Amino acid sequence: MSQYASSAGSKPALKVRQRRFSLKTLIAFVFFGALLVTQLYPLLWLLIYSLKTNDEILSGSFFALPKVWQWGNYSDAVDSGNYIRYLGNSLFVTATTMFGVILLSSLAAFAITRFRWKYGQLIMLLFLLGMMIPMQGTLLPLMIIFKNMHILNTHLSLILPYMAFQMPIAVFILSGFLRTIPHEIEESAIMDGAGAFRIFRSVILPVSIPPMMTVCILTFINVWNEYILAATFISSERLKTLPFGVYSFVSQYSVNYGAIGAFLVLAALPVIVVYFLLAEKITKGMVAGAVKG
Amino acid sequence: MNVLKVSRWTIAAFIMPCLIVYLGLVFVPILVSIYSGLMDWNGIGKATFIGFSNYAKMFTHDPVFWPAVRRTFTLAGFSMLVQVPVALLVAILITRFVRRPNFLVSSYFLPVILSVAIIGQLWKTIYNPAAMGGMINQILIKVGLESWTHSWLTEPKIAIYAIILVSLWQYLGYHILIQFTGIQNIPSEIYEAAKIDGASGFKADRYITLPMVLPILKISIVLSFIGSLQSFDLIMVMTAGGPAHATEVLASHMYNMSFITMEYGYGSAIANMLILICLIATVLINLLFTRLEKRYS
Amino acid sequence: MKKKPFKFFGMAMTGVLAISLSACGGGGAATTNNAAGGDTGTDSSGGKSGSTENITITFQNIYPDASDPKNQMMKKIVEQYEKEHTNVKIELDSLNTDQQKLKLKTQAASKEVPDITVVNPAAQMQPFVDEDLFAPLNDMVEENGLKDTFQKGILDYYTFDGNLYALPDGNNIGVVFYNKKLMEEGGVKVPTTFEEMVDAVKTLKGKGIQPMVIGEKDSWTGSFLFMNILLRTNGGPGFLQDVLDGKKTFEDQAYVDAVQAFENLVQAGAFQDGATSFDYNSGENLFKTGKAAMYYMGSWATGGIETAEVSKDDNVGVFKFPTVGGKGNADEFMLAPGSAFAISKNSKHLDETKDFLNYFMTNFPKEAFEAKGAVGIAQNVDGDFKAAGYSDMAMNVLDLFKEVKGGDLAFDNTMNPATTQVHLSGIQGLFVEQKDPAAVAKELQAAYEENK
Repeated sequence: MSQYASSAGSKPALKVRQRRFSLKTLIAFVFFGALLVTQLYPLLWLLIYSLKTNDEILSGSFFALPKVWQWGNYSDAVDSGNYIRYLGNSLFVTATTMFGVILLSSLAAFAITRFRWKYGQLIMLLFLLGMMIPMQGTLLPLMIIFKNMHILNTHLSLILPYMAFQMPIAVFILSGFLRTIPHEIEESAIMDGAGAFRIFRSVILPVSIPPMMTVCILTFINVWNEYILAATFISSERLKTLPFGVYSFVSQYSVNYGAIGAFLVLAALPVIVVYFLLAEKITKGMVAGAVKG
Repeated sequence: MNVLKVSRWTIAAFIMPCLIVYLGLVFVPILVSIYSGLMDWNGIGKATFIGFSNYAKMFTHDPVFWPAVRRTFTLAGFSMLVQVPVALLVAILITRFVRRPNFLVSSYFLPVILSVAIIGQLWKTIYNPAAMGGMINQILIKVGLESWTHSWLTEPKIAIYAIILVSLWQYLGYHILIQFTGIQNIPSEIYEAAKIDGASGFKADRYITLPMVLPILKISIVLSFIGSLQSFDLIMVMTAGGPAHATEVLASHMYNMSFITMEYGYGSAIANMLILICLIATVLINLLFTRLEKRYS
Repeated sequence: MKKKPFKFFGMAMTGVLAISLSACGGGGAATTNNAAGGDTGTDSSGGKSGSTENITITFQNIYPDASDPKNQMMKKIVEQYEKEHTNVKIELDSLNTDQQKLKLKTQAASKEVPDITVVNPAAQMQPFVDEDLFAPLNDMVEENGLKDTFQKGILDYYTFDGNLYALPDGNNIGVVFYNKKLMEEGGVKVPTTFEEMVDAVKTLKGKGIQPMVIGEKDSWTGSFLFMNILLRTNGGPGFLQDVLDGKKTFEDQAYVDAVQAFENLVQAGAFQDGATSFDYNSGENLFKTGKAAMYYMGSWATGGIETAEVSKDDNVGVFKFPTVGGKGNADEFMLAPGSAFAISKNSKHLDETKDFLNYFMTNFPKEAFEAKGAVGIAQNVDGDFKAAGYSDMAMNVLDLFKEVKGGDLAFDNTMNPATTQVHLSGIQGLFVEQKDPAAVAKELQAAYEENK
């Protein structure tokens, strides 16, 4: 539990009470185990799926293993799925989006929660409204906007809307966190004559890492698999992202399921790696601000 | 009270970059959508202004709309009343029994990060008829409950619940994570104080965890409501709204109307309705929780 | 001190917003202005600048899968062309079908149609033509005889007011594929009437053999079969056209009978459990893996079926869809003129794009023939199919083509999208619930009248 002690602003939570090996504990762990199996099974299933032939996938029994392990699916995925190029593009778009969201949202959250001005609450509401807007509904207007900005078929036409759609939840999480930080911490900086930006950079930023990680992972999840906007705004092969690879195995009258499986494994790998790297931070930052400490 | 008193320009410098990107790319499109909702427009040709006719059609004429609303609310209901409470229970149990909970919580979160393409394919093979290798039906036959087998995704009365189950399963980890971090953030002094007063174990959960975690519960419930209203990918992958609209929800109906049926104006009107419902529900949920919080504190 | 860069950034973004706001001001209604603006812009840059300038042509297509012969053909022809025209780069934007449709609609709304795109025939491309988005190709197909390589009449489906707007790469008919071994095991013969077909279904079902399969999650599949029944009960083609012309309604006996016949087939247990959750591919795959006796589909499926497991030892045959209740003519087929390539009217390099598409279509039949994909293409092919190693089944399909005496187009190629959707979900509904045929017809008629 000690790792939680360092979390900004909040103390370690209720401790695990003394652990006698009781029936209750046993039941609890059986329950945890069962849940774990159902939540982790898809990964295993996908791995097996990615090594089957089309026929095995479409007609085989649910539990069956492949007769011959089709490693060729992976070379298909890498070669005809353009894995490397698409991966590079996805990494670039996702990283830039994450950086942009973090930077702009934390500036905004800082202004909303720490400045003395009238309209903070109003702006906050405006952002909250954004969480309710379905992305598909904005497709056509965005097309017209980007056409007039002359950024169609560039990565910017993905990064900008991705950022915009992540901002509401990011501002929400970050300002929730900032509200819990006592005002004393910037008071001394004000005494020193620091301006708003210096306070932001040297006082607020350093303590906001956990909620920022949460924002990062949420952004990552939502951006990594996004296809509708990408397919609509990007036309050049050299700019395409990973979801294009998945669908490149779907033609009008046939689908290469095995290669899709392999591609999905390859596409999910970076997410899982990033996720488990950040997992510890996430569990701290998710709703750090919502409980009054 | 906020301490920093700064010039208007400073405020603008901090808030404008974010606000402009957000307003320009999320808000402006919605204004456009409100406008197109008043149009008869196929998305390509000339648009004709028809006032509120789209809305009139939606409420009185569209045989798909109301059932889709009903299904959307069923999904939201299950999500708020089953998924979130179960997640809270799991979170409490984890805090109580597990010494190093990170791995467990992170693993439960895994289905959230997998793409819907994977989730949809997996569950289709689970729901398939026994002859096609469907897991549930094969198990039912093996244990002698052949009469319980169903064509889970195609029987109009069952299909939507089959999809709801997948959705609940997929996002359970999301809410566990939220609740868990919430409980982690409750200061331990409160529990210690309660222990002196003789409240520990589940009694402590009832009188401390629950009230303290209310704000988080609220976030969870709002997120699950909004998420349910926008759920769309999973349905498109699993049934595409069929058979004969039996699994159509608001978001899928809106998509089909805008881009398949080519009634973009009408599709926009559905989108606006969806946002309005979200808004009203969020306000109601907020009111409810303000009352609850008052009663507990 | 540090405020400055942010202020600048903020102002820059304000500028961006201003641009996007003015762009959006009119929403859909104002898009014609954009088109006009685009025109003036392109005149100065592209056009007649000749063959020395380096140019890029965007070729939106629906062949993304590298293992699909069509993808290989496409890449091969493009490579050849680029070799012969070193200043031209063909940028392939390969998408799956659904996504391409969505993308083109979105692009059309903002008049951003790519140089070459893919459209479906007749009613489905009408809205794009109405908005004057495509360039007429009349001179382009005349100049080197490309027009004459196309089968007679096929280009009519892509011609509006005398202007040809797109060139199809496919032309198919609806046929029934059957698994000879399973039919024999079930003790049924190739049905010559619809009633025999229903009986065969019952017999097969009784022996535990899956009679037919369908991928009805993609609801056009059921409609395609249904329309063939309608083609029979109507005693010939043209029912939908008669409805459009106001001579008939969907409540006419022909349509009601067709629904009844279709229900008879479904109720006899023809299709697999959970048919409406199978997409096109997983449905077809059941037939390809030898799990079903019969499969009704367009002849485009020939290539996939002949290379599948089930086709070993010449095990798959084809037959014409039979007459229904003694009505109709088995030589009338469901006709499926394929998706076609259209050129954007606003293309910056209109002449070069036309030149490329001409080259592409001129070379297409030869390449398709060599790749064994020439069954069901829209152009005439010179060559001995048998000698080139086409299977007996493919030869049978080719023979059926020769017997075609007219027919009907699919529902969505004749009717508007709103009516089509009501029809599609009505037919899909019959797979899960028995309904009064008259009620189904009435519902469709109501929808038709509302969306006229």
